Parts: sequence; C-alpha cells; structure tokens
Amino acid sequence: MAGRASTTRNVLPVLSGVRLSLTGDRLSVTGSDLELTITSWIEVAGAQDGVAVLPAKLAADIVRHFEPGAIEIDATGDRPRVSGGRSEFFLNSMPADEYPSRPEPVGESVTLAAGDLSEGLRQVVKAASTDDSRPVLTGVLMAAEDEGLRLVSTDSYRLAVRDLPGAAVLRAGQQVLVPSRALNEVARVLDEDDSVSLVLSENDVTFELGDLHITTQLIQGDFPDYRKLIPSTRPQPLVVNRQSFMDALRRVKLMAAEHTPVRLTMATDSLVLRTVNTDLGEAVEEVDAKYDGEELPVAFNPEYLLHGLEVTPGDEVSLESTDASKPAMLRAVDSEEFLYLLMPVRVS
Amino acid sequence: MRLVIARCTVDYQGRLAAHLPEAIRLIMVKADGCVAIHADGGAYKPLNWMNAPNKLSEDGDTWTVTNPAQESLTITVHEIISDSDHDLGIDPGLVKDGVEAHLQELLAADPTTLGDELELVRREYPTDIGPVDLLCRDAEGTAVAVEVKRRGEIDGVEQLARYLERLERDPILRGVKGVFAAQVVKPQARVLAESRGIRWVEIDYDALRGIERPQMRLF
Repeated sequence: MAGRASTTRNVLPVLSGVRLSLTGDRLSVTGSDLELTITSWIEVAGAQDGVAVLPAKLAADIVRHFEPGAIEIDATGDRPRVSGGRSEFFLNSMPADEYPSRPEPVGESVTLAAGDLSEGLRQVVKAASTDDSRPVLTGVLMAAEDEGLRLVSTDSYRLAVRDLPGAAVLRAGQQVLVPSRALNEVARVLDEDDSVSLVLSENDVTFELGDLHITTQLIQGDFPDYRKLIPSTRPQPLVVNRQSFMDALRRVKLMAAEHTPVRLTMATDSLVLRTVNTDLGEAVEEVDAKYDGEELPVAFNPEYLLHGLEVTPGDEVSLESTDASKPAMLRAVDSEEFLYLLMPVRVS
Repeated sequence: MRLVIARCTVDYQGRLAAHLPEAIRLIMVKADGCVAIHADGGAYKPLNWMNAPNKLSEDGDTWTVTNPAQESLTITVHEIISDSDHDLGIDPGLVKDGVEAHLQELLAADPTTLGDELELVRREYPTDIGPVDLLCRDAEGTAVAVEVKRRGEIDGVEQLARYLERLERDPILRGVKGVFAAQVVKPQARVLAESRGIRWVEIDYDALRGIERPQMRLF
C-alpha cells in the first residue's frame, strides 16, 4: 500500500523507494511523493532495529511473487537481502538518510464512522478533475455544513455534492481542499465497519485507519462557488428506476464512439435513449418513467451520466432538466443527501 | 533551380563508393550548388546528393560534382528527357507552425490566460541566444518570460531555462519568472519545469479562439 505513494517522477530519486524502519517487532513502511505520504505498520519478528530504503515497485513485485509463507529482510549488509522460500534477492539499496522525514501529524483528531465517509468518497472522488493545470479542481472540498460534513467535487462538466449529517469533523465555517488522489487511496482501504480519525493541520490532513496513515498536503486556492451552480427552482422531475436506466444506458452506449453523446428524450411517462454513430449505426431504447412535463430532448456525455447513476443511491432516481443547455440535476427520490449536477452536450 | 529528368548512372567516391545503375531519375541542381538525385519515390530523401559548397562541371554526357573534401559525384547521362530552369526567388524561410504561432498571438492578446494580472511587455523579446515568445510583467512588476509550444516537451523547458538564464543577467529583468505554455505538457516536461522553478500551463486552444465545444461547462 505504501508503495502507491512512491514516485519515479520526483527530483529526489530516493522517493522511488519505500522506507522500512524496524523498531523492536514493529516495522513501518513508508512511501511518499512529498505531497502524499502513506505509512503502514505491521508486526514482525524483528532481529535488529534499523532503516533501509528499497525500490518500491520491485520490492512489491518480489514479495507478491514469493511462495506463501514468511519473508525475511536482512538490511545489515551493503545490499539488502529479501528472501522467501528458496528465493533470494539482493537489492541495490537506496540511501536511507536521504529519505525525507515527515513530522508527526499535529492537530485535533476527530473520529468518524468509516461507512458514510467511504460511500461519500465513492460518490464524489470520480467527479474531481484530473487536469493538473487547474489544481483546485483536482481536489474534493470538505466543508462544515449544518453540523455535518459536505463533500464537493467538480471537473467543470459535472458537480457531485454529498452531505454527511452528524459528521462534525470541521469547525463551523471551516473548509479544506483535499487532493482527490489521496482520497481515492483512503476510499480504497476504508472498511465499512471501521472508524477513521482525521488529523487536520494548517497545510495537511492525515487519515488514520488503524495501522495505516495517509497524509496529504492540502490544496491551496479558492474552490469555485458551487452553490450558485445549483438551480434554485426545481422543474418537473422525471422519475425512473435507476437500474433500468443504467442497463439501457450501457446498451445504447455500445454504439457510442469516444465523443458520441447519448440523446435523451423526456416524454410523458417514458424516457427514450438514443445514440447515433455515423460509422456504425444507431441504438434506441425506451425506459418506463414517471413524467408529465413538456417533451424535452437533452444530450449528455454517456460516461458522466453513467457515473452519476452509479453513485446516486436508491432504487429510483429523479432527473430534473429545464433546458438542453442548462445543467440537469440527478438525485435519489428518497434522499436529499446526494446531488449530481451535469452539463449537457450540444447536439445539432 | 535546374530540373533534369534523365536516364543516368551515378557514381559516388568519397567516404565510401556507391553506384546507382542506369535508370530514369530527377537531377536537381539548386542555385546554391547543391546537387540531388531523386528516384520516383522515397519521400523527400534523395538517392544521392552533394551539398554546397561544391563545383559542378559538365563534360558532354559526364557531369562531375566535387567538393573541398575531395568527394565526387559522377553522373553519366545516357538520355535527357527533360531539362528546365526555374528562378524560385528568395525563400522567406520556415514559418512557425500555424497553431503555435496562433497560440502565441492569442496569448499575447490576453496574457491573463496564463495567470492573473499578467501584462504583455513584448512579443518575441530578444535575447542573445534567440527571442523568447512573450515577455510579460505580473501584478508585482516581476518580469515573466513565456515560451509557447503546441506540444510541451522537455526540450521546450530546456529552451525556456536557457532564455531565463540570459534574461536574469539584465538588471531590469532580474528575478524573472518562467511560464511554459502548451496545449499539452508531457509528464516529463512537467517534472523538469517544476524542478527548475518554471510554472507550466496547458492552454485550451479552442477556448482561446472562442470556439464552443459540444460538451458544455458548468463554469
């Protein structure tokens, strides 16, 4: 796990390694790219305290390919020896004294149930941008909201908002911008039944999950004013079974090329999905829905729409749209805790 | 430019010996003295050639091209099919890639795309190793040198770093910052730029041109 934070793209070559530190029978393994640091602790049969840095990817590959059983690491010589079963590897070590040290996280620790946070992260992380040229959009906004926590992300094409009522992690009015990459790592390891502690300091946040700590620098900058993007009026909703909608979308999406939109027609008690591919042909499917507004055609990026459907909770979802050029709102019929706002695609 | 289409054989003597057997070929004799023998294929690359400076002497069916390195190209002409001369005039030189030049022009018109409150000082600001694409000043008055590329790769970052080193010698510009702007900045170029303290920016060419994309944005 720690190796996922190591990097070969940093000017410090030693960061392509993982730092192993043995104290008694406790081994810590740390990987870092200076922005994201992951440390895990495991109980081992320690023989001699010490520190070594091993190449992260190679070490992980070696251990993964060993036969089941105990692994021995002997870093007392010039070349650390990693052995398992009848295999032995002698690795060119990296200078442990060059590995940057991180101070222990300082700040108030707040513990919350992992289940809600896990679901919330799953819902919002993917809507964050991966374009590094606008760093604030690569983060997830964590903001205090009505004695709870609000998670917000956007890549400028869509916006995901999830409220976690009762998760009083931040002071009233406080908000921080956490890199989505780090939250993705947190989401990967969160167990529904666990709890997670957050230690927030001025420039970074640490997620403590038992013997695993994930520390990330916070993103500095102003997150867009997302509130003004959310339509204040609620148009006539189209209510549709979420699974039926997703299944139909996945089918018509088969006809879509990379930039082919899916064209929806919201009509009385039906939703028609259509994709047109000039090279391959056309796909059409009608899904039962509840709707008594005016017939409204609107087109979306099928990937973005599918992601919204996948992370919206509940059996039935409501799609609200006023215009083919205005953002559409996707939310669960029986819950107000999650909102997915999606901009349409212009079609002729 | 003299263009001769002829059935010929060609022999080169110099660092090695090479022989082209009899066939119909295009012989180009450029105004500066360069001689190139082309087949009807193989893209731009001649079968054999002799760069200027050299000397071409025609003795009946035998043309001999020699250069100061004592290399020689002997063309034996068996049949001339076409022989024409054309005055091409003075070449204006290589014009920068259209997109790259247009990007520079658009960024010069609105440097705030590269960062808040940047003001253009001059396009093609001269240094003694070549002009930097844009020179701007930020809100604090600090000079900002901008190198614009269509594809941002390591050599572009190196180029900007060299300009910055030259500009830093000018007391008026001292403390100059660098911005590397491209439609796409490759990961290696990002790392190199960051390690040299150069900010990189990816430019949306369509947005700069005011072209609406099918996928609409929330903001």
